Amino acid sequence: MSVVVGTRDSACVPEAMRAWGPRVGRDKRSVSLCCALATSGRTLSNLRDNGRVAVIFCLPTNYKTIQLKGRFLGTARPNGQDLAAVERHRDSFTASATGVGVDRRFMEGLWQKELVESPVMLKIRFVAEQVFDQTPGPDAGARL
Amino acid sequence: MNAPARLTVPLESIEICLEGIVPATICSCSREGMPNATFLSVVQRLDENHVALSFQFFNKTRANILENPRVQVLLVSPETSEQYRLDLRYLRTETEGPSFERMKVRLDAVASQSGMSNVFKLRGVDILEVLDSRPVSSGFRAEAAHKADYLPELDSFTERMSRRGDLDSLLSAALEALSSLFGCPHSFVLFPDEEGKRLYTAASHGFAPSGVGSEVPIGEGMLGVAAERHAAVRTTNLTREMILARAVRSAIERRGEQTLLEREIPLPGLPNTQSQLILPLLVRDSLQGVLCLQDPTPGRFLATDERVLQIAARHLAAAMSNIRLPASPSRTVALRRKGAFSKRSSVVKHYKSDDSIFIDDAYLIKGIPGRLLWKLLEAFVGTGRMAFTNKEIRLDAGLRLPDIKDNLETRLILLRRRLDERCQFMRLVHAGRGQLHLEVRRKLTLEDLP
Repeated sequence: MSVVVGTRDSACVPEAMRAWGPRVGRDKRSVSLCCALATSGRTLSNLRDNGRVAVIFCLPTNYKTIQLKGRFLGTARPNGQDLAAVERHRDSFTASATGVGVDRRFMEGLWQKELVESPVMLKIRFVAEQVFDQTPGPDAGARL
Repeated sequence: MNAPARLTVPLESIEICLEGIVPATICSCSREGMPNATFLSVVQRLDENHVALSFQFFNKTRANILENPRVQVLLVSPETSEQYRLDLRYLRTETEGPSFERMKVRLDAVASQSGMSNVFKLRGVDILEVLDSRPVSSGFRAEAAHKADYLPELDSFTERMSRRGDLDSLLSAALEALSSLFGCPHSFVLFPDEEGKRLYTAASHGFAPSGVGSEVPIGEGMLGVAAERHAAVRTTNLTREMILARAVRSAIERRGEQTLLEREIPLPGLPNTQSQLILPLLVRDSLQGVLCLQDPTPGRFLATDERVLQIAARHLAAAMSNIRLPASPSRTVALRRKGAFSKRSSVVKHYKSDDSIFIDDAYLIKGIPGRLLWKLLEAFVGTGRMAFTNKEIRLDAGLRLPDIKDNLETRLILLRRRLDERCQFMRLVHAGRGQLHLEVRRKLTLEDLP
């Protein structure tokens, strides 16, 4: 599954970045994600400025995609469960992508760039307020 | 007018990220300040400071772009896995012109192949200014520059073409040269039929079985659309294109709009094609044929490859056209029977209804090439005649050939290659310009059937 976080600054200029290891909170509404700290400067600044966030989750095997839109809750250092979720996500994303012909070296390269070269991760928490079907096609954007 | 912004990373150096091998993500923002992220099917580089995005559906991204022109596209390099952010500003939507037409042909070709012609409609092309292009990671390495100097290969290709005097050997030489010079081991050439309704494969390289004789309707599928529009169609990741098309197909089915859907057309050629480049062979805007290159690796044919192979294809088309000019009087070729004449015999059946030919009940060919072969076999069995000329065939009213003389040669190539592939004891040999030699090494019994 590919996960991308979208935010915007005070002038409504958007910023996108990849995220890893999504986890749903016990309240079933809050979600946490891990991002590479070194490359998340603008995203963090945007979240602290206005708290608006959109996150897409897409399966490479069939392009089924959902988008969560909500409000930023805060950041934290990832704990052991968060880092385990990141590893599971890495492995399942690699397996599903290579299953539809994506070169394993590409996936390993992506992982290397995102997580090995930027080893410090940051956990971002947000509350999901709206859920959308974002699967490509005429209904993309329909609220679920 | 302001000078274009100097980008942190020039677009030209990351062109491979815009090839559709790995999907891009676009992030837009509404006037009220709510961001929206979604995947993008096509980002096309127009020049050093502009890109084009396809506009097919009225969705949230579209609404946001019209409210707030600032968007960002997140790209990934399929070669280095490096990521880049393009900070963009929407300028306008074009519904005609070169960018629109180029994107439309590509979209229509995929739509036709996937049975989605009524669904994938290009409404417009959004033109965006690139304000900056920057790497996501600070320690990024520049993308490897793609080879742009193909002059020695083109020189050798054109030289090899110039040495060929007949269409059959020209095609064989061209496909072999595409393999040895340009690293394209899987290729085939199709010719349009007399009615201009279908394409039939006349030559191939790197396929087993050869596929010679297989047909594609003009206007259908990627090959048919490329032929109909006289436009190149290039795809860099067919699996991704088909997964995307099937996702949209499922959405249409869920809406109960199955009537919009057509059947998905199987792609001819390699069973695991990922990259494909289709180049119409045009002379003075007249379609001589279609050259198709396939490869099992995603991203095999990039924009540079298309430009280079387009030059090779144009040269091949011109060479084909020159060869098809009326033949000058040439020497008579001495005919002799080659190979041992077998004691075995075979039965050749001709069905008049569709001019199909069966040898010992195995199908060989139908249509005009079938009619042609039957005429030659009747002469051979009746009088022992083995030598024929193109001219007499053209003038033979009994053959009911369409009044397009260029196509006789291509039909003969198809017939010759089908015989080479499917018959051990019969060959049609090119015996000098405008002459044919039928070689038969077995006693034949002919049966003419309704």
